[in-house]
Amino acid sequence: MSIAETTVFLISLSVILLFARGFGELLRYFKQPVVMGEIIAGIILGPTILGTFFPETFNKLFNQSDTVTIALSGITLLGVVMLMLVSGLEIDLTLVIRQSRSAATISFLGVLFPFSLGFVAAYYFPEELGISELKMRLVYALFIGTALSITALPVVARTLMDLNIFKTEIGFSIITSAMINDLIGWIIFSILLGMMGVGSGHGLEFKSLIITIVIFVFVLLIILRKLIHYLLPLLEKYTSFPGGVLNFILIAGFIGAAFTEYIGIHAIFGAFIVGIAIGDSANLKEGTREIINQFVTNIFAPLFFVSIGLRINFIDNFDLSLVSIFILLSFIGKVSGSTLGAHLSGFNKYDSLTIGFGLNSHGAIEIVLGTIAFQAGLIDEKVFVALVIMALVTSISSAPIMSYFIKKGKEKSGFLSYLKTNNIIFSDAESKNEMITELCRIVSSGNKIDFQILYNEVIRREESMSTGLVNYLALPHARIVLNESIVAVGISRRGIEWDSLDKLPAKLIILLLTPKEKPEIQLQLLSEIAKKFADPGLINNLCEAKDQKDFVSKVKQLS
Amino acid sequence: MIFKKIGLAITFSPNGLPLIKTAVRLKNLFNSQLYLIHVGHRSPQVESQMNYLIENSGLTQESFHMIWQEGEPAKAILRAASENNIDLLIAGALEKESVIKYYLGSVARTIMREANCSVLIITSPIRESRPFKKFCVSVDFSSIGETTIKKSYEFARLEKAEEFILVKEFEVPGLAITVYDTGSTSDNEKRKLIWQKEEEEKLKLFAKELNLTGINYSTVALFGKQGWEARNFAKNNGSDLFVVPSPPKKLKFFDKLFQHDLEFVLSQLPCSLLIVRE
Repeated sequence: MSIAETTVFLISLSVILLFARGFGELLRYFKQPVVMGEIIAGIILGPTILGTFFPETFNKLFNQSDTVTIALSGITLLGVVMLMLVSGLEIDLTLVIRQSRSAATISFLGVLFPFSLGFVAAYYFPEELGISELKMRLVYALFIGTALSITALPVVARTLMDLNIFKTEIGFSIITSAMINDLIGWIIFSILLGMMGVGSGHGLEFKSLIITIVIFVFVLLIILRKLIHYLLPLLEKYTSFPGGVLNFILIAGFIGAAFTEYIGIHAIFGAFIVGIAIGDSANLKEGTREIINQFVTNIFAPLFFVSIGLRINFIDNFDLSLVSIFILLSFIGKVSGSTLGAHLSGFNKYDSLTIGFGLNSHGAIEIVLGTIAFQAGLIDEKVFVALVIMALVTSISSAPIMSYFIKKGKEKSGFLSYLKTNNIIFSDAESKNEMITELCRIVSSGNKIDFQILYNEVIRREESMSTGLVNYLALPHARIVLNESIVAVGISRRGIEWDSLDKLPAKLIILLLTPKEKPEIQLQLLSEIAKKFADPGLINNLCEAKDQKDFVSKVKQLS
Repeated sequence: MIFKKIGLAITFSPNGLPLIKTAVRLKNLFNSQLYLIHVGHRSPQVESQMNYLIENSGLTQESFHMIWQEGEPAKAILRAASENNIDLLIAGALEKESVIKYYLGSVARTIMREANCSVLIITSPIRESRPFKKFCVSVDFSSIGETTIKKSYEFARLEKAEEFILVKEFEVPGLAITVYDTGSTSDNEKRKLIWQKEEEEKLKLFAKELNLTGINYSTVALFGKQGWEARNFAKNNGSDLFVVPSPPKKLKFFDKLFQHDLEFVLSQLPCSLLIVRE
């Protein structure tokens, strides 16, 4: 590289990073995925905008010298390999293998539906779906199926965090299903690459290629994974930390990538599998994961995502019908499959829809997949552009749609779903026992539960330790033989002495009955109720409710 | 009564005597019956070794039941335990076994994985039988978790333990990925602390419902892999008895390959271990 070329190379790099950061931050401001900003940065710097209006600057920066172009493509390769390495690190293999039945059902249907839909559509209408070579029909159809089944973990994870549902059952199901989807998607895709014979310059036939892939995956995920698990603490102990571990991850990743590239499937597949083998170890510290995530995300991934826009003119290759077809297929296939899977595994309507739309965000991973297919000549510019736009649209739309269904779902689960107007009484009871008697009576008559058993259980619990909390709230409860939890509410405007922690009388008395065999349900509801009514001024306001209906609507307005 | 019938798998190793002394001590502590189980051919020589152990343990002839078994040791012990309705099986074990032995399965590990009753594993080398002073109890919010707390708390009360810590782990897979898109490590740290607090509040509430009185207890919530974090906590804390509820499904070879929960503990015991089964 001459001095002039080196200068241009370094300037191009800094321009790419500058634009990536700028647009990334802009989109972050609007609470959108940063990846999208990076793609936009590429479109602006590439032939679409800069190349059209300032062709000289564009050529000088990215096109003039072959050496610079090669150097840049080397760096973007590095970017995508590291990106996939990190994606692999985040797949918790043990979790995926021991997946709960629900995650298995969700991901199975979440792959089956979009995959078959995409496959059938592309196989029977190849021209409408933008095929470039008809003889590649089967591979092309398989590819479209795979492309529609992919879920992007990073975007999903971020959305879960923003919506504050990461540490919930929904969040857990979405994350595990997305991991399974990812794994299945990449394995199918690697086989596809093998079928196409891309770069199979080393003379491996399709059959022996598949056998090699299987052996590679098996050796890494079973044997080397265990060795790495024992090796990591040694690295932490005898090399500088976290430097030594970070280095090890990259070295192993690059070797794996080199191997898969050599046998004729893309380098990223090796990096991805190595990532999984390392990431599964409990010895890999959370902090190390975050550090590697940060430097890949902020430096190497942007280089890759910007480079996409540098190669292609997004306006010339924009094909509205293709874009609409892809978006439509994705929404129909992915959302319906995942939603059905979630519903079959016992989630209610709104939670299932939240999961369905959550898994529909294709994000960055789709773009990686598309890039490789494009480089391999399987798809043309138009299809690629449509895929990128589909990935962006699905990623942007998932958060607001999910947030809508989460709000809806909240009313259908937890405390609110058990709150019934006929179980609410405005009472003049003068003592604790009188109040509990009244509440037990309405529950007993409404649910065919023996009054005496119910009353004894509640009183027994009350005697072991008072259930009076703070701020006029009392929460008598018991676990009895039941299928569904029951809530009854007594409102005492004058207040009843309840031996509370803050010595205040109880004005809002919530009787909570939960199934005997499931202590976790009781725990969930107790902590939900305690949190919901923690605000001091709240209960006096609730006691002013005109009637039962008014009370329920007041409670619904609480966060 | 915490345990009605205690079974002890007897060996003639250097640990034999301290183990039987431990069993006798617990028998008296729990006021339960004691079954001594020996697997192997019953010869005069073996009997005299057995008599030596019994005499030195302070047991009188009427105060225990002797069971002689033949066959594959782990299976024979488990069979004897279930035939006699034993509800606590005691055995000695190494803290860590060689990799090969780990995958092939030793007698003690097989008992831990497959027993139908609660299992108490005393880690070697055992010097003398002393009361357990520092209890570390790993719990989940299930009914077996509840039983585990109740039993171990009663145990700790009888032992007059100095420390009783309830540990709850919680796992949030994929958290590190959020750093990828606009997240930051410090945000994640903050979020983890909030979750930790939430989880600890729940644990406190859970424990409160059980009305534990007698000795003080403390609660800890840990972020990380189930089994792994609690095990490390018990180890670093210097606990001398680690208590866990039994997993809902029995552990198989496959679980050694993809370790989780209890399997993390079994691969390297932090200290003596009590697995509670209902």
